[in-house]
Amino acid sequence: MWEKEYLEKISKAKLEWEEKFKDSKERDGKFETDSEIPIKRLYTPLDVKGDYLDKINFPGRAPYTRGIYPTMYRGRVWTMRLFSGHGTPEETNKRWKFLYDNGETGFSAAVDALTFNGIDPTNPDGSPEVGTSGVPLYCIDSLFALTEDIPIDKISVALVVEPFTSAPVCSMYFNMAKMRGYDIKNLVGTTQNDILTMTVGYIPYKNVAPDHLLRLACDFIEWTVAMKNVPKWHPINFTGYNYREGGIDAIQELGFVFASACSHIDNLIERGWKVDDFVGRLAFHLAAHKDFFEEIAKFRAARRIWYKLMTDRYESKDERNHGFRFHIQTAGSSLTAQTPLVNIIRTAIQGLEATIGGCQSLHTNSYDEAICLPSEEAALIALRTQQVLSDETRITNTVDPLAGSYYVEWLTDEIEERVWKYIEKIEKVGTIAKALSTGFLYKEMRDAFHRRQTRIEKGEEIMLGVNKYAVPYDEVTDVFRTNKEAVKIEQERIRKLKERRDNAKLERILDDLRKVCEKEENVMPVIMEATKEGATVGEICDIYREIWGIWDPPLAI
Amino acid sequence: MVEGKIRVLMSKPGIDGHWRGGIVISRALRDAGMELIFGGFQNVEQCVESAIQEDVDVIGLSIHSGAHFAYVKRLLDLIEEKGLKDQYMLLVGGVIPARDFSELKKMGVANVYGPGTMTKDVVEFIKENIMK
Repeated sequence: MWEKEYLEKISKAKLEWEEKFKDSKERDGKFETDSEIPIKRLYTPLDVKGDYLDKINFPGRAPYTRGIYPTMYRGRVWTMRLFSGHGTPEETNKRWKFLYDNGETGFSAAVDALTFNGIDPTNPDGSPEVGTSGVPLYCIDSLFALTEDIPIDKISVALVVEPFTSAPVCSMYFNMAKMRGYDIKNLVGTTQNDILTMTVGYIPYKNVAPDHLLRLACDFIEWTVAMKNVPKWHPINFTGYNYREGGIDAIQELGFVFASACSHIDNLIERGWKVDDFVGRLAFHLAAHKDFFEEIAKFRAARRIWYKLMTDRYESKDERNHGFRFHIQTAGSSLTAQTPLVNIIRTAIQGLEATIGGCQSLHTNSYDEAICLPSEEAALIALRTQQVLSDETRITNTVDPLAGSYYVEWLTDEIEERVWKYIEKIEKVGTIAKALSTGFLYKEMRDAFHRRQTRIEKGEEIMLGVNKYAVPYDEVTDVFRTNKEAVKIEQERIRKLKERRDNAKLERILDDLRKVCEKEENVMPVIMEATKEGATVGEICDIYREIWGIWDPPLAI
Repeated sequence: MVEGKIRVLMSKPGIDGHWRGGIVISRALRDAGMELIFGGFQNVEQCVESAIQEDVDVIGLSIHSGAHFAYVKRLLDLIEEKGLKDQYMLLVGGVIPARDFSELKKMGVANVYGPGTMTKDVVEFIKENIMK
């Protein structure tokens, strides 16, 4: 970016500087990023390669390194979207309204393990977990209760369900919206619909094989966006966050999401769609982890990689589709149960990474999340943390303020290069479904688990309160408990629904679903009908299980 | 006194899929010379069945759903019903509030491991207490 002669001058001066200070001491230990990229003492113009307009350019201009919109937060600050859900839909609705009244600008439904896995609350294997780790959304009535008095035509809602249950749960949401008189063509929101979350982020309980999950994810993208039934919806959110939390590094996080995104795009192209028919609505969800500069460089590199994928690989013609849109969650696995108030500080710094990095929407963790689901007080502090960033720090005054930092530009390049190599490594195995079924991604996760645990146990990765200045685990915060009656309430909700609905009619629709599953037809139209008639999530998923069988993931220890 | 290798069953009761903790501890126990049987998702009946079949000394439950009391009670009830009380060292780990530890121990859990656990502490506890 500088004239050759000037760089030579700097190079010479740098050599002199190095010679003069060659005996200056440095601490013992490694200087490297969280992803183990070695870091030099100093970065200078000599480390920044390439042309400004080609590589960095202006926000809203290819390759979008600086941000996907020309004005970024000067136009509109990020959406403050707390991932939230517990007990029952009614209780979650109350929490949502509390956060909304306090300035939250988007909702995100954290569902319970039964909703994730397509299990009804009458199933004894799962009944103790009704509402314990999220909101139970088992039938259309739950969606009415969840969104009562909430203007869903004005505020976007993220439904965090994965391919196994995205069709039933989201069809309930769409049907509910229609019944409330909204045109679903105008609905805004997101479905996570991420195949890797419920396969390697968490392990699936009685789900189906990756090939079917990929098909279900793509059916949903096809029906909502390509077929324009819910054209403003984000039908998928490739969620690097959930596997990053397991211990994979920033490079792998981007590698996983891009390899996954490409498999979905390829699937839809095979179905006969053009990339520009749907790709503009695909979105991402990444982590803001512990390494401040590495994470910011990661977000910048991600935008550049996506742009190149869109234009070089997929030859997308519509430049509105080239922007990498992403939601951020701060790193839950960086939080400690020991001295939990320190988590407020960790989260604030990670929130700063996300916003300096140009995220479109942000969840900040509550300080009690290493111990329990967030209490109301802890959730409010998490929201206020974002508001301190947006309203008090003035970081929103300008776009991509770290651009031009020799270190950040160098690190952005370095991450980009490493991610391309990692994408290649995954794609050598095959599609994302193949990378799952062959066990490749499970081994990558397993290795990451052990690498991170070893680093923590050796003190190479510091966690204050745990491996430095360690204190006993004896929490000082109040522990938020979910409603013990939730299981009875939800069983009763289902009982009433079953009494009310036309069971014979529903049986016929479910039979149609069996036939659709056996063919290569989109499952969404028939599932829309089924949930409108009162089918539960468990009933739909049982049909998937019946037709496709249950998949046992090749876990590695 | 346990003769030969200590045998451990690692089981995930319920349907919550947070799996890192169970895998990390499993590997650490195996690396420490124990025989590790990874049960994965198991309801309590399957868990007890595996424990009997595999003739284990230790049952480890990995629970991140907040439903630890329910699953531990179910398991202990079934163990007692089958006349196997005190046959197994029962360990529980996961996202479990510290204030629940004493209640779980009263119920019959040998030790509980929350967030921030060092794997060597689990290894040591098993080795020291199983010999008694």
